[in-house]
Amino acid sequence: MPIVRLLKQTKYQVIAAAIIIAILLLLWKPEILIEGIQRSSLYAVIALPMALILGVVGIINLAHGDFMMLGAYTAYFLAVKTGMDPMLAMIPAIIAFFAIGTLAYLALIRPILGSPELNQLLLTFGLSLVLEELVNLMFTSQPYKLSIGYVSSSLTVGNFTFGTFEFVYVLAAAVVFIGLHYFLKKTRLGQSATAVGQNPRGAKLVGIDVNRTYLIMFSLSIAIIATIGVLFSMRYSVFPLAGAPYTMKSFCLIAMAGIGNLIGVLWYSALLGVSESIITAIPGAAGWADLVFFALIVAAILIRSYRQRVK
Amino acid sequence: MRKVLSILLTLVIATSIFISGCAPAATTTPASTGSKAPTGEPIKFGATVTLADITGKEASNAMLLAAKEINAAGGVLGRPLQIVIADDQGKGEVGASSLDKLATVDNVYAFIGGMSSGVHMAQIPIMKKYAKITVTIGAAASPVIEAPFADADWYFHIHPWDYEQTSGYITGFKEMMTKFPQMTLKKWFIGYEEGAFGSSGWKGFQTLWPQQGWDVNGASFKSALMGGGDYRAALRQAKDYNPDAYMWLGYAADALPMVEQAKEINFAPDMFIGAPPGWPADFGKSPLAESVSLFGMWAPSLNSVSPAAKHFWDAYVAEYKTEPTGYFAPLGYTNVYVLANAINKAGTLDQAAVITALKATSYDSPTGQTLTFKPSDKIKNQGFTSQKILQWQKGVQTVIWPFDIKTADPEYPFPTWDKR
Repeated sequence: MPIVRLLKQTKYQVIAAAIIIAILLLLWKPEILIEGIQRSSLYAVIALPMALILGVVGIINLAHGDFMMLGAYTAYFLAVKTGMDPMLAMIPAIIAFFAIGTLAYLALIRPILGSPELNQLLLTFGLSLVLEELVNLMFTSQPYKLSIGYVSSSLTVGNFTFGTFEFVYVLAAAVVFIGLHYFLKKTRLGQSATAVGQNPRGAKLVGIDVNRTYLIMFSLSIAIIATIGVLFSMRYSVFPLAGAPYTMKSFCLIAMAGIGNLIGVLWYSALLGVSESIITAIPGAAGWADLVFFALIVAAILIRSYRQRVK
Repeated sequence: MRKVLSILLTLVIATSIFISGCAPAATTTPASTGSKAPTGEPIKFGATVTLADITGKEASNAMLLAAKEINAAGGVLGRPLQIVIADDQGKGEVGASSLDKLATVDNVYAFIGGMSSGVHMAQIPIMKKYAKITVTIGAAASPVIEAPFADADWYFHIHPWDYEQTSGYITGFKEMMTKFPQMTLKKWFIGYEEGAFGSSGWKGFQTLWPQQGWDVNGASFKSALMGGGDYRAALRQAKDYNPDAYMWLGYAADALPMVEQAKEINFAPDMFIGAPPGWPADFGKSPLAESVSLFGMWAPSLNSVSPAAKHFWDAYVAEYKTEPTGYFAPLGYTNVYVLANAINKAGTLDQAAVITALKATSYDSPTGQTLTFKPSDKIKNQGFTSQKILQWQKGVQTVIWPFDIKTADPEYPFPTWDKR
């Protein structure tokens, strides 16, 4: 039977297990599955741009979450000063932050591309601190939050009520993933970026402008993450350190998935998001969520290392 | 390469100029405008505050305002009063070294200010080393702060301790249930952030609430401040418990998302209470804020019942062209006045005489209450012993308890979400 043959492959075993778990969760506590998927999508959509930079440019951008924070502040102040809905604010945000990403690349990233990785890490770490402190000085640490009616919209099915706004993150993750996948596989620039990510010297030899590719990819990543920050600001409070925890989460997801593995980022985001949702739903167990998170990260990396060694 | 380095250098210099322009002055002697201008060497109060936090910023503004008024009225013992502000950056080690500098380099007469219990804890050895008169407006965590000052006659603590606050809330809820018989607050659910602040608060509820014959259950959540911000799991557990009152212990960043997510899952208990140390700037503007109760030491609505509160408010707005948002502003103002008044009453800077005068303090504070000092469980000189119960009503924080300074009756029950 074709299904039996398919199930002999690990990939389809994982998919089958995921479907079974999803059905069980739907029957037991549907909110765990729904809120888990929503949470996973937020993690995924934040991690994907970092995966893009790491896969192509080879830089771990420790200011990743801080650019998201800047996008969130942009949305907040555009809403307060001009009345612009944050959904619309994504358009000026993506343009403005593409330009900011370009400036950041030219001024800070390009000069250190050939440097040891520690220098690169220190630079982006320093950039993260500068951004956070600058925002703190300008706006203090007081949180800001837009009050938008439709953000708390919900749907009731029988006795069960669940939020619907966070499906925006599911949609955003799908758009970003499919968009990046199409871009990297089907467009000339994307294929060049993939080649540069795999072998910069080889790419240069065949005539690809490596610097221009790095510039565009870095700028695109900053534009995407800042735009995600706009969506983030609709649901979460905005303050100088709002983005920092997501830098670390994104880095952990990429470490689990492997560099350049965008689909892996989606799967591991789903694993972590749903696991967190299960743990926090158990009375008294919410405090274990972080421990489970890091345990899963360690397990995933160890399993991947073992499988690579076996191959 | 040279071009890039020059651009980088220019950016660094520009940023430094911008940052130094934004940075507050380390010391300020507010100008005297009265006819009896104080003369001579300034008397200095050294204040440690967290300037990057809105509470510290407003407290220092209020302290400088108080000093300006005091100097306009002739100063302290005819001498100008100078407030030396040191930024503790919210860090214990910086708070401790700031006190050292205030004592040795700035040679201040007394220590004032404070907010964070963590910073205060680190400052304890320095305070005890110099044994200067210390009048602090911060630190509520009694287990780590109170005992070391048990024998310190020179230590005056204005902010209520954590156990005093909780005891005050119990008194307040009981009095409200007596005055408003339709109120039933005997079954509680506490959502608490999983850090030290929330967890220690939850332990207090687990101990004290059953002593009143009240049922209590709780669930932790990860605060937005720590990278969380999804409260639905805790809120669903609360909804399943069906409490008379839901209270959440967290931070300002959790405030609006908490009510949004409560609405999302249709959880509307008869009383919805938030207990963060501060509130976000825009919370009151949201229709979801209506009838959310909270704790605090001050609210702008006190202007209608307290002349001292009104004077403070008008003076602050006139000076800074902005309204204070939290209770550390009136506390900072109170801090300076209480000490300055005690020195003037003592007629001398002799520490023993000033301590005696401080102990006899009876100051009509802009918090709407009269500040006096009495022994607490452990220290000799405790100021305020409770907070107030407030409630957001039509975008304004009203005082619903204590009844002698209330500005509104409580809205009860908490309106359902579809009625907003």
